[in-house]
Amino acid sequence: MKVESSKYLSQVKPVLLHLRDRLLEEYPYASILASDSVSKQYTVDKNVTSANTVGRLSGRGFVVKVYDGCGYGEYSFNEITEEKIGDILEKIKKEIIPLSGQLPEGVRSSVYAMLEDQPAVFADSTEYEIDPREYGDEAIIRELARASEEGRAYSEKILDCEAFVQYQKYSKLFLSRNKDLEQNVLWMSGGFFVLAARGEEIKQSYRGFSNLGGAELLTKMREGVCDVAKVGLELLESEPMVPGEYECICNPEVTGMIVHEAFGHGVEMDMFVKKRAQAEQFVGKQVASELVTMHDGAAAAREVATYFFDDEGVLAKDTVVIEKGILKAGISDAQSAMHLGTAPTGNGRRESYQRKAYTRMTNTFFQGGNDKVEDMIASVKNGFLLEEPSSGMEDPKNWGIQCMVNIAREIKDGKLTGKIFSPVVLTGYVPDLLKSISMVSETVRLGGGGMCGKGYKEWVKVSDGGSFIKARIRLG
Amino acid sequence: MIEKILAALKESGVEQYQITESREESAELFFIRRSLDMRRIKEIRQAEVVVYKEFWEGENHLMGSASVQVQESFSQEEMAGLFRDALYAAGFVKNKFYELYPGQTQEARAVSDGFGGRSLTEIAGEFSGAMFAEDREEEVFLNSAEIFATKVTRRILNSRGVDVGYEKNRVEGEFVVQCTAGQDVETYQDFAYDGMNTDALRQKVRRAMEMTRARAEAQSAPPAGEYRVILSGPYVKTILGYYVERSGSYMIYPEYSSFRQGCDVQGGDVEKERINLTLKATVPYSAEGIPMKDRRLVQDGKLQFIHGGNRFAYYLQVEPTGNYAGFQAPQGSVSLEEMRRTPCLEVVNFSDFQMDELGGHFGGEIRLGFLYDGEKRIPVTGGSINGNILDVQKKLVFSREMQVEKEFEGPMAVCLEGVNVAGI
Repeated sequence: MKVESSKYLSQVKPVLLHLRDRLLEEYPYASILASDSVSKQYTVDKNVTSANTVGRLSGRGFVVKVYDGCGYGEYSFNEITEEKIGDILEKIKKEIIPLSGQLPEGVRSSVYAMLEDQPAVFADSTEYEIDPREYGDEAIIRELARASEEGRAYSEKILDCEAFVQYQKYSKLFLSRNKDLEQNVLWMSGGFFVLAARGEEIKQSYRGFSNLGGAELLTKMREGVCDVAKVGLELLESEPMVPGEYECICNPEVTGMIVHEAFGHGVEMDMFVKKRAQAEQFVGKQVASELVTMHDGAAAAREVATYFFDDEGVLAKDTVVIEKGILKAGISDAQSAMHLGTAPTGNGRRESYQRKAYTRMTNTFFQGGNDKVEDMIASVKNGFLLEEPSSGMEDPKNWGIQCMVNIAREIKDGKLTGKIFSPVVLTGYVPDLLKSISMVSETVRLGGGGMCGKGYKEWVKVSDGGSFIKARIRLG
Repeated sequence: MIEKILAALKESGVEQYQITESREESAELFFIRRSLDMRRIKEIRQAEVVVYKEFWEGENHLMGSASVQVQESFSQEEMAGLFRDALYAAGFVKNKFYELYPGQTQEARAVSDGFGGRSLTEIAGEFSGAMFAEDREEEVFLNSAEIFATKVTRRILNSRGVDVGYEKNRVEGEFVVQCTAGQDVETYQDFAYDGMNTDALRQKVRRAMEMTRARAEAQSAPPAGEYRVILSGPYVKTILGYYVERSGSYMIYPEYSSFRQGCDVQGGDVEKERINLTLKATVPYSAEGIPMKDRRLVQDGKLQFIHGGNRFAYYLQVEPTGNYAGFQAPQGSVSLEEMRRTPCLEVVNFSDFQMDELGGHFGGEIRLGFLYDGEKRIPVTGGSINGNILDVQKKLVFSREMQVEKEFEGPMAVCLEGVNVAGI
């Protein structure tokens, strides 16, 4: 079924069109992004059950962007009526436009050309099987409670098991002189967190689930919780990593973290504008093994970061970032692309209507290869199978790797020994790691269980992943 | 909007509720080098309404809840429909019974009047002036910066008599310093001030510039091995934050933390410094309307009380304190210079430093560190540290030098013994 349009946005659209026309009387470029978003998060663990709206993912609001012939200014607000149009125009004229004239000594305003405004009119929606709102609070909580109980019952050493899901159904309108776009999207994600305890020592294990769609996700989650509990217990027997460089097999979740954190942030082209990304110097050059092809794009996969147009009204694309080891292109928002003289790639995203648009990743992944996972493990003499990424941080300037994983399963002479090392910090130079990739699995998996920040803020939903890869990685 | 919400709550049959109405305004400036790249203004008004349902299931007395977000554009009928749905959902949220925080009506209070009545655009302008005042060199400079001057007006009321409010201004942001002398490197910093601390921002920019210049001189990672590690700057807050988190009722009630009032947070047999911590009130009322005040949390290593919100406090039968964002620690016993006299690795900048409050593990990749061999100071970059607070907490040493960081005031540095470093 197709996700429905927002009744509220349909209701206020005539007012928004009037506002757009009034803005265009004063400014050569003006656009309005309107959004109406509903979200809910359900959580069940030993002591807490909750069913709450997620503030960051909810609400109705608008952002007006205007061009004053020199630069851009924005006004975010969440109340609109015909009567308020005059106030909005006044606010922009009296408070936003003059900001560029109140700068410290030696600081000037950037000079930009006017954004291209190619004509486009369409409305589209993603699809779902089960509407989580119709499936109902009772059924969702019941399923999560069952999973949480099953996880806790797995062993007396399981301290707790949290089962959770969240969904967001959003509708957006983008209106400019030449554009009238509408999209309606529904995604759902969830997961299990298991805490296993031995005395003061507590270990945690996690598994995420996601889909572009609705409560059909719960079916996927039905079998997963005992596996997570088992890993939690295994972690209690884990040993600290002996620092060194090893042959490693990364599962698709760890590959996803490397793709996203270590490399993906470095090809966000607003970083090129700021001269903060080494990748700019490597376009057209080899940055990875020729086995590696990497994609990003809201149109590159059907996952939680799939949409039809970005928050600047640019249509979604599938960008081939690395092709057979050669860095082909970065991803960009509209303003950065204009600065760099490139075409925008549909990656201008806002945390919400309340925030600025930045270049952001969407669905980011390594394409599959020709190897079988069992052959990859068999090829390792002394190394590890890395699983469960726990955190990662970008370093576009220096391409330093800062990623942590929860599990390193020891491989000796091509066989898993059953020994686990945890936690594990991955370090090194990104191109060294990517060039060392010697095997890529046929299996490809994407996951969108988490959110991505720009630095430490601006959270947006993304998915990442790809294939199992074999690489040499420095572990600590 | 409050009147409309109250009428809709009544219409939907909700008896127990909490309403948090927020108005947020901001002026935002985004710079690339010495150019204003984008300017923004925000004005948002919305309310979060939590609907509660008290019920019995067999012999179990339960309290369910569900929250919704509403705005002025919602009609009373629309709100009533949402509240009815939330009340229905709350019937499946089977949490052990607790009472809402009982309160009283208080006049709305204004806090952080250190901005002297300036407008948000004036505040943003003055802080950008302070920031760029330190941007005077060719080889080390501000690469980019973001400044957000914000004003939040909040009113919190519930069905047990709480009706309080406050207004708070704040300026926060981030900046990146780049150095092109030698290697081309950068460091990231963030900041937040509740008053016109433009001098503090200038100092922070100046320190970041010095640090970035040093990073440009760093050639390689430290040799792998076990080190005496000094963590300085914001990472002291991360280390001490472990104890603040572990003493929260939300960690203690579910038994994720074994801390109890009066317990020794460092586990006894402390060989070096004992921890002292004070929770700092940064707003006059918590999210539940609980009056906030500064409270001594840990005295000479002993936990003085369990902190946290109303619900877990009710379960644990302790006083609800509200959830604190900031804390303070006193100066330590040793100067930084003394710490550096014996061989050690001082890390002043990580790409990201993580602390796992459940297991005590900490780690991160080193962006800039200094190896002290007793005589020389050698800048290093790369590699990572990987340790556990449970292994090092009996021998913590804090610096006499102090720092004021985002939501933290305390020693500039902490010294940890026997930490693994993955290097070259």
